[in-house]
Amino acid sequence: MNKIELLAPAKDLQKAKIAIMYGADAVYVGGKFYSLRSRASNFELRDLEEISVFAKRFNARAYVTVNIVFHDDDYEGIVDYLKYLERIGIDGVIISSLGLIPIIKREAPRLECHISTQLSSLNSSAVKALKRFGADRVVLGREASMDQIEQIAGNSDIPLEVFIHGGMCSNYSGRCVLSNRMTLRDANRGGCAHSCRWKYHLMDGDTAISNPNCLLSMSSKDLRASAYVERMIRCDIASLKIEGRMKSEYYIGQVVKTYRNMIDEIYEKGTLTAERLEYYDNELSKAENRPSDDGFLSGDCDNSKHLYGVNGAGVTHDYVGFVHDFDPYRNIALVEVKNIFAHLDELEAFGPKTDNLKFRVENMFDENWNEVELANRPTQMLYIRMPFRVYKGDMLRKAER
Amino acid sequence: MELLLTLRKKDYLEKVIGMCDGVIIGSRFVSGYHLTLDDLETINIRCKAEGCKVYIVMDNFISEDERMSMYEYLEFINELEPDGIYFHDLGVFEAAGSCGLRSKLIYDGKTVLTNSLDSSFFLDQGIDSVVIARELTLDEIKQIVRRNDGKVDMQIFGHMRMSYSRRRFLTNYFKEIGKEYDYLGRETLTLIEEKREYRMPIVEDEAGTMIYSDYILEMFSELPELRPYLKRGIIDTLFIEDVNKIVSICREYRRVTKENSEFLKKSFIRNYPDSYSSGYLYQRTNISKDE
Repeated sequence: MNKIELLAPAKDLQKAKIAIMYGADAVYVGGKFYSLRSRASNFELRDLEEISVFAKRFNARAYVTVNIVFHDDDYEGIVDYLKYLERIGIDGVIISSLGLIPIIKREAPRLECHISTQLSSLNSSAVKALKRFGADRVVLGREASMDQIEQIAGNSDIPLEVFIHGGMCSNYSGRCVLSNRMTLRDANRGGCAHSCRWKYHLMDGDTAISNPNCLLSMSSKDLRASAYVERMIRCDIASLKIEGRMKSEYYIGQVVKTYRNMIDEIYEKGTLTAERLEYYDNELSKAENRPSDDGFLSGDCDNSKHLYGVNGAGVTHDYVGFVHDFDPYRNIALVEVKNIFAHLDELEAFGPKTDNLKFRVENMFDENWNEVELANRPTQMLYIRMPFRVYKGDMLRKAER
Repeated sequence: MELLLTLRKKDYLEKVIGMCDGVIIGSRFVSGYHLTLDDLETINIRCKAEGCKVYIVMDNFISEDERMSMYEYLEFINELEPDGIYFHDLGVFEAAGSCGLRSKLIYDGKTVLTNSLDSSFFLDQGIDSVVIARELTLDEIKQIVRRNDGKVDMQIFGHMRMSYSRRRFLTNYFKEIGKEYDYLGRETLTLIEEKREYRMPIVEDEAGTMIYSDYILEMFSELPELRPYLKRGIIDTLFIEDVNKIVSICREYRRVTKENSEFLKKSFIRNYPDSYSSGYLYQRTNISKDE
């Protein structure tokens, strides 16, 4: 049995590298075209090439999303693009247009075809159909329960990918065009306005039946499937996917590292104790900016899995600094300021090799070695004296609010 | 072009049976239609006697738990010898193969079948035809139809489905606000976004929640041009209580020409005032944040 793949999203080259450094086995990224997050994507063609090379250096894989719901005009240049992705060593593409499968098999056969969750594949017969069509992997719909995922896996002979963390469409993926109607932005071509998170009066005829103090919203909490990772490993799921191509490097780093350690511990010890699961859940909470739950994995989604009030909440930690370098002789870290922190604040360092080490900021200096009391200029580079070793790529966060 | 009607209430059958070339019917579990299996059999017999075609719709997503029931359902409808089966879940495609029904399949991709390439792909799998998305411009529709030898169906009248969720938005909302309300399957509920004014019908049943366009799609002006090329045009009767309105739209769509389209349209709207629109036929929806 192959070890399960941990698949992370990345909005740009830096975040893709962070994801791999923090333990992702694979990253998925979008180019400026053909991708549902194309507006958010900062991947130029040369960046795709760089991440392909970078991933191979770490024995990781790189996938590119080609997952818009295409209109005829959108296909312009697609064959050249696919050939280019194959040539630079991209491992696979995530597609929702099934018409692309024969083209990929013919023009860029070394690219794997991964079928996007946009197809809402929720039963093993659908998975069989997709395999018949030439798919190499199927991303299951987020509406499947854990029991159903186990059954689908048991009845399928093609690698399956399952979302384990991040934002969720409240509707079946791809089957919502509320954004098209309400904003003229095509939800299926990268323009989703998240109309599901807005507030609505509910009427019966001309009578308002909604509560004016709590209007109807379709907003779903984010997904957190930490409690199901062990079962997913046992039923031979091929890949565990983290959502969030719009998320920060801090979010990516923290979430990837947590799931990386969790997966490794399950493989090493055979299981995860309740205490260890609680530990990992606490770690995931440090990255959250929206409430989360287990979505459909435990069965149906009742009202406790919806957000009727404010959408954002629960940020417990501030990401305050990124370590660019460390001088082991003087124990000085070169840190890029990401958020405000001050002299004597208690911070926590974490990174691929650094496990939540707390320290108090005793000495910090600007680039001219003037002592600094308050770090309040994002992107400013500061030297900070550390009581322990940190590494390039580590992050600093301010302890709980 | 065959003119098809979604038959959601059995009682309407006698009034519409001579007005269309075929009816689309379905039952709970596999579709948003709520006819019983007995209804399907009765309607099927009656339609066949009148030379009216019968199409069965299976447009819900099927969970793994429901998979075996899907096979049984296909065996049931196989005995009805329908003229076609509209499907949405790819599991139906696979299951229909084992029942020898694949050539009767019509893929209704709802919002995701928006191009010629995917349409051709499905037709290459040996199915009968495809239903293209409602979120297409007229020019895009013409191109897809032209490139697929007319093996294309589309909705030509009615409220357009805008979202489909497995989540039970109404059940959850009423639970959240602690209110009891008879909402299940009710077709009179609408949503109004707090900064907008139009009302979008919302319906919840056992399979989840669906939200529809606030307006009724009408294609009086475009139908004369499209009719020779479309395989089937579908009039969706959901939310239309007045059966005379259904009869009328069938009649007017049958006789609409380039010359009389404006007259018929005005006359129909005068007789049955409502919110009508040409949908996205002349309105592209890929506007980016910067535009």
